[in-house]
Amino acid sequence: MINRKRLLILMVPLFASILYACANTASVPRIHPEAVKTMPNCTECHTNSWGALNHKAPDFLLKHKIYAGSRYACATCHQESFCSDCHAHREEIKPSSKYSTSPDRYLPHRGDYLSQHKIDGRVNPASCVACHGRQNNERCKSCHR
Amino acid sequence: MKTDPSRTSWPEFQGTVRTTAVVAMVCTALFAAAPVMAETVISGQSDTVMRMGRTNYDGSRNLFPATEYLRLSLVNTDKDGNAISLHIGSWGRVDFGDKSFRDRNVDGDLQYGYLSYQGAKNNFVINAGRQFVTEGVAAQRLDGAYVRSDFAAGFAAAAYVGSPVVTEPNIKADNLVFGGRVTQSNEKYYTLGVSALKSYADSARYREEEGLDIWVRPIKQIDLTGRSSYNSITGGWMEHAYALSYTPLDSLKLNVDMSNINYHDFFYKVTTSALVFNPLTNGIDPNEKVLTFGGSAAYSINSEFTLVGDYKHYKYDVAKSANYFGGKLTYTKPDAYMAGASVHRMDGSIDRLQYSEFRLFASKKMGKLDLTLDVIDLYYDNSRNMYSQHNAITVLTASSYEINESLKIGANVEYSKNPFFNNEVKGLLKLTYLFETKFGAAGGDKK
Repeated sequence: MINRKRLLILMVPLFASILYACANTASVPRIHPEAVKTMPNCTECHTNSWGALNHKAPDFLLKHKIYAGSRYACATCHQESFCSDCHAHREEIKPSSKYSTSPDRYLPHRGDYLSQHKIDGRVNPASCVACHGRQNNERCKSCHR
Repeated sequence: MKTDPSRTSWPEFQGTVRTTAVVAMVCTALFAAAPVMAETVISGQSDTVMRMGRTNYDGSRNLFPATEYLRLSLVNTDKDGNAISLHIGSWGRVDFGDKSFRDRNVDGDLQYGYLSYQGAKNNFVINAGRQFVTEGVAAQRLDGAYVRSDFAAGFAAAAYVGSPVVTEPNIKADNLVFGGRVTQSNEKYYTLGVSALKSYADSARYREEEGLDIWVRPIKQIDLTGRSSYNSITGGWMEHAYALSYTPLDSLKLNVDMSNINYHDFFYKVTTSALVFNPLTNGIDPNEKVLTFGGSAAYSINSEFTLVGDYKHYKYDVAKSANYFGGKLTYTKPDAYMAGASVHRMDGSIDRLQYSEFRLFASKKMGKLDLTLDVIDLYYDNSRNMYSQHNAITVLTASSYEINESLKIGANVEYSKNPFFNNEVKGLLKLTYLFETKFGAAGGDKK
């Protein structure tokens, strides 16, 4: 049993080292070669997986948590601040107020969210967790003591 | 860095500034030592936001907070395409009226601040500092280190370790987090991932999560994404969430999705009491389970009009079920005009989950001027849970003017009549300044 464990401890780094040594992919460009000014439909140019990143699709928001596993691809167009606009540590201005001239963008908490949060919090509280589960939740304490 | 509003104070804010200053000095030294045959780009964005309004909350009355958001990037790229970069994003606020939040006239935060090395090969990235990590089960802001690289045979791996950046308004959080994700992918067809996260509060186990994630695209028309995550401490599945889209025609996209969430496992170790459930205080059973399934169809009538219909069903183990459905019509003429109208209905088995939602928006671009109107109205069938009010209406008018390529000014006024406020008026002024400077040596690889 011990020998098998020692073998595993030796083999895993060895296997990883071989895979690393043999790797030779070119990195995704740091800056998107074509300037993208509006919400893109990536299918227009990309025939591989990146084609799925159609930002205009109604389910893009739902799927972006999976796409975000390839952050180096997102980073070709988006600054880090794009994520922190919603996934913030301590934020005092809701995204829909900061970007009020973009009514087409999906931005959380539009309108009177003080009333609406009582409903959303009951219907699907899991949707609150990504942004307010462990950060940016100090305002909750105003009422939820 | 953790934040407990009852304990934190001005010295902590100073500490953040000190940390930023130290990071900046280290980075200046590194950039100074960067290869001669290189290009350096310094870019940034400053957003100065002045808000105006009145509120009855927390004893505040007249609010005039001015907030400055500053985002800065320094990127040094060598002739082979490797890049060293520094990214900082922070905000600071000064109240010119009553205290707007956290019982402070002056406040601020470092949202992110990290030094990064990106290799020209293998999508190699190594980051050090405050950053947001998204790797499988982790959607975690941390002060620490992150590394990822592609390997041979379609494999890739990422690992991270650090101190979680959390806020603790009610419940103590962890102080060490680490984890990683291994993926195997084919650029054209799929990515399969296995991930794990573990954290400790002092020396006690705090969070232990493992997950499987998939992104499959067998043919151009089909895209399937999903994730299942498991909580090793509670011994239960936190979440299964999968979404499938099918695009039979360029003008038609069909989507279906489902998710299953176990509250006991999913909400384990959140730091706000608002997400700790108790049937007596917030009416939610801590052992609740919800299964949601739904779908949407988006049809582009022509290059300008798009019609979307959507439906979602919520089925609970304890609470009664609900349906949410509706439609949206949008009109878009790039760089000129956009408008949309949507109607949705929440039809639940309890009073609170019976309401209709209407939205109308329009935005017009006239040269350098942008004008926007956004009207949102919620009509609650039963006013008992809404302070005897049936309606919550918000009307937002916004405008922005591009003075030049670097400078833009904007303003908005928001009027709301809702269950909490009879007539609420809020204003916001925003000045955006963009800047970029390039320093390139002869022979540098300019982009």
